[in-house]
Amino acid sequence: MMNQGGEPGAGINPSSSEVNYVGQAHAPSNPYLTSAGPQLWPPPQPPPPQPAPNSWSYRPENSNTHNGFPSNYYYEMQRGASNQSHTQTGPSTTPNMPAQGYNSTPYSTSYQSSPMDYSTSFYGNSYGNSSSLQVAPNQNTGASYQPPFQNSVGHTSSSSTSTTTMSNSNTYYNASGDHQNTASTTPSYQSSGNYYQQASHNYAYPSYNTSYQPQYIQPYYYNQTAGGPSIGTDTTSSVPSGAGHGGSYMGHGGAAGGYSSHPTNQPPPPGTTSWLPDAATPALPPVQGIGATGYQTQYPGQFQAYPPQPVDSAPAPDKLFVSNNANQGNIIYSQPPNMHVSSTNQFQQAPEIPQRQLPPPPPPPYTVQMPDMHQVQGGSHLHPNMVQMPDTRQVSKMQIPTNPRIAPGLATGAVKVDRGSISTSGLAKPAYVSVSVSKSDTKLASTAEDADKGAFPVSLKAYVERSFARCKTDVQRNANQNRLKEVITKATTEGTLFSKNWDLEPLFPLPSGDSTNTNNTLDSTVFSSLNKEKRKSRWEPIEETPQKKVEPLSNTSNSGPSNTRYNRPEATPKTDGRNWNTMIFVKAQKHSNFNNSGPGRFKKQKTNVFIRKQTEHTDSSSDSDKERELTKYYSSAISLANSPEEKKKREHRSKRFDKRRIESATPNNSSSIVTRKANAMLLAKSYDDNNGPDQAVEDIDWDSLTVKGTCQEIEKRYLRLTSAPDPSTVRPEEVLEKALEMVQTSSKNYLYKCDQLKSIRQDLTVQRIENELTVKVYETHARLAIQFGDIYEYNQCQSQLKRLYAEGIKGCDNEFSAYHLLHVCLHSNNKRDLLSSMAGLSIQSKQDDAVKHALKVRSAVSSGNYLLYFRLYKAAPNLNTCLMDLYVENIRFEAVKSMSKAYRPTLPVRYVAQVLGFVKNSEEKESETTDRSGFEECEQWLKAHGAVLTSDSTGDLQLDGKASMNTLYMPEPENAVSHGDASLAVDDFLTRAP
Amino acid sequence: MAAFLSLAESQRRIAGYLNRFADAIARQDGATLRPLLAVSSAASLLPLADALSNFSDSSRLVSQSDHIAQFAEILLPLLRSIQSHRLGRFAEAYSSYEKAANSFLQEFRNWETPWAMETVQTIALEIRLLAEKGDRELASSGKSPEKLKGAGSFLMKVFGALAGKGPKRVGALYITCQLFKIYFKLGTVHLCRSVIRSIETARIFDFEEFPVKDKVTYMYYTGRLEVFNENFLAADQKLTYSLARSDPLNMSNMRMILKYLIPVKLSIGILPKMSLLKKYNLMEYSGVIDALKTGDVRLLRQALQEHEEQFLRSGVYLVLEKLELIVYQRLVKKIYMIQKQKDPDKAHQIKLDTIIKALKWLGIEIDTDEGECIVTMLIYKNLVKGYFAHKSKVCVLSKSDPFPKLCGKPVMT
Repeated sequence: MMNQGGEPGAGINPSSSEVNYVGQAHAPSNPYLTSAGPQLWPPPQPPPPQPAPNSWSYRPENSNTHNGFPSNYYYEMQRGASNQSHTQTGPSTTPNMPAQGYNSTPYSTSYQSSPMDYSTSFYGNSYGNSSSLQVAPNQNTGASYQPPFQNSVGHTSSSSTSTTTMSNSNTYYNASGDHQNTASTTPSYQSSGNYYQQASHNYAYPSYNTSYQPQYIQPYYYNQTAGGPSIGTDTTSSVPSGAGHGGSYMGHGGAAGGYSSHPTNQPPPPGTTSWLPDAATPALPPVQGIGATGYQTQYPGQFQAYPPQPVDSAPAPDKLFVSNNANQGNIIYSQPPNMHVSSTNQFQQAPEIPQRQLPPPPPPPYTVQMPDMHQVQGGSHLHPNMVQMPDTRQVSKMQIPTNPRIAPGLATGAVKVDRGSISTSGLAKPAYVSVSVSKSDTKLASTAEDADKGAFPVSLKAYVERSFARCKTDVQRNANQNRLKEVITKATTEGTLFSKNWDLEPLFPLPSGDSTNTNNTLDSTVFSSLNKEKRKSRWEPIEETPQKKVEPLSNTSNSGPSNTRYNRPEATPKTDGRNWNTMIFVKAQKHSNFNNSGPGRFKKQKTNVFIRKQTEHTDSSSDSDKERELTKYYSSAISLANSPEEKKKREHRSKRFDKRRIESATPNNSSSIVTRKANAMLLAKSYDDNNGPDQAVEDIDWDSLTVKGTCQEIEKRYLRLTSAPDPSTVRPEEVLEKALEMVQTSSKNYLYKCDQLKSIRQDLTVQRIENELTVKVYETHARLAIQFGDIYEYNQCQSQLKRLYAEGIKGCDNEFSAYHLLHVCLHSNNKRDLLSSMAGLSIQSKQDDAVKHALKVRSAVSSGNYLLYFRLYKAAPNLNTCLMDLYVENIRFEAVKSMSKAYRPTLPVRYVAQVLGFVKNSEEKESETTDRSGFEECEQWLKAHGAVLTSDSTGDLQLDGKASMNTLYMPEPENAVSHGDASLAVDDFLTRAP
Repeated sequence: MAAFLSLAESQRRIAGYLNRFADAIARQDGATLRPLLAVSSAASLLPLADALSNFSDSSRLVSQSDHIAQFAEILLPLLRSIQSHRLGRFAEAYSSYEKAANSFLQEFRNWETPWAMETVQTIALEIRLLAEKGDRELASSGKSPEKLKGAGSFLMKVFGALAGKGPKRVGALYITCQLFKIYFKLGTVHLCRSVIRSIETARIFDFEEFPVKDKVTYMYYTGRLEVFNENFLAADQKLTYSLARSDPLNMSNMRMILKYLIPVKLSIGILPKMSLLKKYNLMEYSGVIDALKTGDVRLLRQALQEHEEQFLRSGVYLVLEKLELIVYQRLVKKIYMIQKQKDPDKAHQIKLDTIIKALKWLGIEIDTDEGECIVTMLIYKNLVKGYFAHKSKVCVLSKSDPFPKLCGKPVMT
């Protein structure tokens, strides 16, 4: 595994550490897999190998940080990756694919942070996470037989304490443990719970039968695929496939239905598994089977179905993998397009089962079944286009009532499930394995594909996908499957499999589908188109009409998954597409957050910070990022999570997901039913008429769009608007004043305050309030940002302040002119800016102490007068020190360079320390202790920069000028980061957070 | 006057203008065409403007005959612009003119020979002038002045039409200079970079083939940019080029160039004669130059303070400020020379106290540490050869050439 880790290509996804894990785990077993991994698995394995993965592997202890940290980083990567993956896998699958991607995200997000929150956040990231979880288990299994692997496991293990219950393979546990950690350490159990438990479940097997382990592995993978169900796509696929299998699966579905009461069903975020789907379904049964042996777990039916694989694998783990891959490969090919295909594969496998003769598992505990349910639901979600099985829908519906919480996000759902399982079954070891597994499955599948040499050309996949895309009923699907099999077999035997242009191949006719289904699909498309429309302009006012239409449609027509998942039907009176973006959503998140104990919280914050920059550059996904960010920020009581209000909010959020997903699923549907308000029409028109967006913005009648807020809540999270603001979520001026006061007196850390201030700023902006309050808000924020070293945020505030002051609004403009001067001369070093800001100073402001100070600093810097600089540093008014701080290193270095050239023969280090601000000025005679520590710090610093120090006769350290002249160097900053902006280094940033 | 204009006369004038315009294009007569577009500067358009205010239906005249109507897209906004300009509504005049100019540019692109080059240049000039007027008008009425920015982006389009290969390239430098003027005025000099790159990297066209006036202007502006970047050698070279090719009798141009060239030359150790300052009325530099000659740090500071606003606006303040070290050098050198007269053997050892005392006489109070810091910087920047002994607080000068002259090289940074 280590080796593989070394390979960037290994397919380890930088995006998620977990993903990486997966990649690694697989790697040992199958080289093929690894290589293939990236391609097949587009989502998890965004091409660019990141440093993070490595770090991950290297330091196990850090698992927490790792999760928190890198994960964020990865998230972004993943997002990108997921997109890519979509494109890759699914040129053919297009509609499904995008949807999947979306789903996946939510999933993953919930995963890492508090599950609840995350549901909102979505996107590819979540995907990665979920996968990672699953992967982990795999790895563990792998580890058992593969030594290198274990190492990784070991490190993971440290992190996961909660898992201890599971006696068996540490590695396995660890993996699960990691996940949990990421999610939320303490209370968390529940939140992470689903995965966790599942993971443990899986684990159980390996530990149970060592001899079996190899076998296990395979099943394991399968399980993972099964886990896929959690992922929306997988689930969909699984459902149909299950049907195909001869009901083993279906049986599960039924069970699931029984379980529907369980909230857990929702957990699988629809999108996550999108690509995985097929593989996942088949995989599950085997896993379960194994589990049954070990634990007597869940699906007997499935178990039977899958046994064959384990058998194969038994002889040699490697071989097993290969074989699995091969199988999966088949599946896979089918997967990208549709789950159905996979089902065919399963068929083939199924016959084998009897041979395998695995001991039939005892009837699985309910918990076990749960995963299945998930799958079902997820599946429906994922493929809106695909008509879903009536059963699944029912299931989903049933579930909805039972599990209101689930709606918001998978994570929440998962958590609840865990609880339920625990309560019912007591130990809960079993159950959720499937979810965790899914990832590995996908991987396997993907890898298998690669190993198989793709087995099938992309165009064929597309073809398969297309053929399935038109299936609306089970009957059709089955027929389609059979037909496809024939076609492909024929092509294979004729040797035209690869030469044939599948893109041009006409589809065979299908039996007519049932009418309701058709309607559904239509509806869903309509729905998506609506969404699309909405997206066009973020400024459009909220419209009510479409909403109503949409809602019913989505309930009935949209694939069950979405409904089930999000509990849409029940609640949200406002389904308006726009609304999902709005503050309600935010609030919900706030409440939903789990309490994160210290460390966990930190991680999240880091993420936020991290993401912030990136959000700037990522357009479509930025919202999600923000949200995630926000979610991470706050730690709030879980207790709130269950309140009806909360549920509602969650539904909102989930809707948002749905819409997005659907939107992406049918990107090109141009027929719009949307009716807009006149204003919106106008806007759109002006937009069209004018050549550029700029003009459109100019022409917008801002007055008519200005919002008058009615929200009375003081605290509100920031969420970047993507639609017209909703007055009910905007706070009026009086409330904003209180909010500002609250922030000013708050004892929470900068990240929290920053977020709050941003939301205040946003409310001010949308209400077009520009007065002294506005200035105060920006000033407050700018000061906090300076203190925290958040230059980026400071810049934003400064530019706004400049404008506001220019409009004659009173504030501390002198103080901020000083900051601006310092910033320009110390940081941006733009001579012209400096000149113009100097020229812009009025005579009065030049009298101001802060400005005078800043001007002196500037002059000291420009003449290189280090002595003056440090004297000014000590005498700095306001926050000037904070800005000067960032330049200290440079000026010290220059100073030591000049000293070593000018002084002969030596210069006492004590003097250097005094001149360069390491110690207080000698006149001040501070206490000896501070003096000495400053002196030592100076010595360290000098050494770190290559200075040559000698001792003179009295034992005083001296700087040897001549010798140092050529040895001085600027060390690489310890917190150097690959992207070159140290201020982005989350570690550093977080440690600075009070 | 307009009031006395008869309708028929107005109509006749407008028709005459339209015909001249169309004929000039038909004959590819740039010399005739050019003044027809010089909205703000051609006196010949005044009667036309009056006629336009008197006769409202000019569009009918434009569409009357085909050979005029084909240029309706140019002429209609052009007439409106002439009229608005006459009425003092410059922002409107600019907007209309930009439309006309856009249409004209379309036509110009299709003409293979650069016969209308002068006209295009006139348009470039006019559009800038109109934009400046328009912005002044907008600013005085409290609106945000944005016309000049618009003119900048329009000129970029023009530049794009000229900058390729072919005979039209000759005109590109003129447009570049107009762009420079806009960017410098707007304070968005960073936008100059792309234009400069396009001019300087073009191998097909030798820079020397551009018209002299454009080259001088170009060098002047790029020289100024180098001053901003404190790239003194490049600035010196460009500004000197510009100065050498300017008409010495054109006082204002010479002064503009010298305003930047003098600080640059000072920075590399070359002092101008006082007569030059007098001739071109650049006496604001006299204090600085005196300070450099005498090593009077106080005088330098006074001179900088006195003209601070001016120097800040022109952008040479930071450059002049950096001269302080050279003034210190001069001061130390003076001390050295005096010591040498007294006791040649010990002249190369200058006590820090002496320097501090000298500065005190100049009214500048510094302590030992500051003194050390200054000496350190002098040595570090190669303005003084020697070393400083911390223990004895003595600056020991090198025996040979203790005060190296800059000799056209900037102070090491």
